[in-house]
Amino acid sequence: MADDKDVLRDVWFGRIPACFTLSPEETTEREAEPYYLLLPRVSYLTLVTDKVKKHFLRVMKAEDSTEMWFEYEGTPLKWHYPIGVLFDLHASNTALPWNVTVHFKNFPEHDLLHCTSNSVIEAHFMSCIKEADALKHKGQVINDMQKKDHKQLWMGLQNDKFDQFWAMNRKLMEYPTDEGGFRYIPFRMYQTMGERPFIQKLFRPVSPEGHTLTLGDLLKELFPAAICAEENPRPAALHVNPRCEWGNLQLALPPPSPPACLTTQPVTGTEISLSVPVLPW
Amino acid sequence: MLICAVVLELSSIKTPQHVKRTRDLVQAKVSGGCPHKLRGQYNEIMMFMAGERNPASCYLDERTFRLCCQLFLQHSETIQDGWSWEQIKGTDEGFMKKTVLMPVKPSFLHKQHECSMQDENMVTDDVQANVEDETAGVQAVCEIHAVLRYEYHVLYSCSYQIPVLYFRASTLDGRPLSLEEVWSNVHPNYRQRLQQGPWDTLTQQEHPLLGQPFFMLHPCRTEEFMKPALDLAQAENKRMNYVVTWLSVVGPVVRLDVPLSYSTEVSAPD
Repeated sequence: MADDKDVLRDVWFGRIPACFTLSPEETTEREAEPYYLLLPRVSYLTLVTDKVKKHFLRVMKAEDSTEMWFEYEGTPLKWHYPIGVLFDLHASNTALPWNVTVHFKNFPEHDLLHCTSNSVIEAHFMSCIKEADALKHKGQVINDMQKKDHKQLWMGLQNDKFDQFWAMNRKLMEYPTDEGGFRYIPFRMYQTMGERPFIQKLFRPVSPEGHTLTLGDLLKELFPAAICAEENPRPAALHVNPRCEWGNLQLALPPPSPPACLTTQPVTGTEISLSVPVLPW
Repeated sequence: MLICAVVLELSSIKTPQHVKRTRDLVQAKVSGGCPHKLRGQYNEIMMFMAGERNPASCYLDERTFRLCCQLFLQHSETIQDGWSWEQIKGTDEGFMKKTVLMPVKPSFLHKQHECSMQDENMVTDDVQANVEDETAGVQAVCEIHAVLRYEYHVLYSCSYQIPVLYFRASTLDGRPLSLEEVWSNVHPNYRQRLQQGPWDTLTQQEHPLLGQPFFMLHPCRTEEFMKPALDLAQAENKRMNYVVTWLSVVGPVVRLDVPLSYSTEVSAPD
C-alpha cells in the first residue's frame, strides 16, 4: 500500500499551469493583465479561480460582473468536469501554459451549467461520488457514512488536503475480494466529437470465468475504435489491480505519442475518466 | 385520523388497483394541504401491507426499461398524450420525450425577471382593467397567462439501474428558466421534501446523451417510494409497469401530468 500512496499523492498533486486572459469583449476601466495559476487536475475550475475573478473584477465596473465563465479557443469550458479532463480533452496537444479566456458577459445558457456558489460544486461533487459508489458497492458504503464524513471528503478537495480526503475516500475504495471486488468499475469515456458528451457503460472487473480484467479489456470490449492498433499490446499488458486504486493508471500508461489517442485523468481516485481526443486518420 | 381512513380503504383491497387508488387518495389529501409527512406515513402503510414477503427488486434493467417505455408510448399514442421515443444513432439506447406548454400567472415571470417583462405575454392595461372589475372567481378565469415550455425526458441510468427524469424549461421566446424559477413552479407540497439533502433534490445537470444543461430530479429516493409499490404488486401476484408507476409519482412534482389511464391500461412487459 506504501507504493500506492506515492502514486495517489502524485495524482492528487498533479497540476496544470494556466494563463487566464480577459476576453476582449469585456469592457474594462484599465488594461487587464493576464493571471497565471497552477490548476489542480482533480479539482474544478470554479472552485479554484476566486483569485482570477478578483483580479479581473478590479479592472472592471462592478455592475458588469455577472457569473464568470471560461472558454478555450471558442469552446465554453464545462466547470463540472475535473480540470484535468478539460485539459486532456481540449488542450493536451498544445504547449503550456494552457491559455484560458475569462468572460463575465453573455453566459452560454445552452452549453454551461450555472455555478452560483461553492455549494453547487459540492452538490455536484458529492453526486459523482455517490454515483461511483452506486456502481462499486451498490451505494452501501456512501450511505453508511455519516454526513460529517461526506463533508470531510468535500473539505479535503476544497482545501487541497490529501490526508483528510483519503481518510474517507479509502472506505469508498475498499475492494472486497471475497465478494468479487467492485460490482462495476465507475468510468467515463469523454469525447469531443458529436453531441454525446461521454460514454458510460456497465463493466465488471472480473470476467464470468473469474479472470481479473484490465483497462485494455475494457477498451477492447466497449470502445474498440478508441484503441490504435499498434498501441494494443501496451494497454492489454496493463494489469489493473483495483486494490491499487484506479489512480495508478495515470502513471502506468505510456505517455501519449502520435498517433496515440489515449490519456487518462483519474478523478479524485474514486472514478476514472478517460479522455479520448479523436484524431483524423 | 387520516391514517385510520387510509388503512380502512386498504383493508378492502384485493387488486393492484389499490396501489393506484391509495396513491390517489393520498395525493388528494396532500393536495388539500396536509403536511408532507403524509408521504412517509403512506410508505409505512405500504410496508405494513407488504408484510414479510421477499422484497421485489427496486431496480430495472435496461431492456425492461425499454419494453416498459414501448408499452407506455403505445398508450400515449392512443390518448394523444404527446410522448415520443428518441433513439441514439448507432446504439440501442434512447429516451422518451414530451414537450408541454404550461400556462403560469404573469406575476410568476414578472417576479423573477423584471427586464424580460416587455416581450412576455403580458396583459394590456385595458384588459387588466376589465379583469379587475370581475369577481375573484371569474377574474381567475379571465386572467391571461404567460406560457412556459417544458420539455421532459425519461432516461435510463445504468449507474442506479432506474429511470431518471430530466427536463428543461423556457419562456416561449427561448429564454431558459433559472433554477429559482423552476423551484417556484414546483408544487408547494413537494418543496420541503425536496430540500432535505444537498444532492437529493432538483438540480441543474448535463444531459448525459445531449450534453446540454437540463434539470434533473435526483434518483436517490426512487427506491424509497418504488419499493412499497413493487412489494405490494408482487404480494398480489400482479406485475406492474415500472415506468408508469415511477413517472406517476415523480412527474407531478415538476408539473408533469400522467393521466390515470396509464395505470389501468398499460401492462407490464413479459
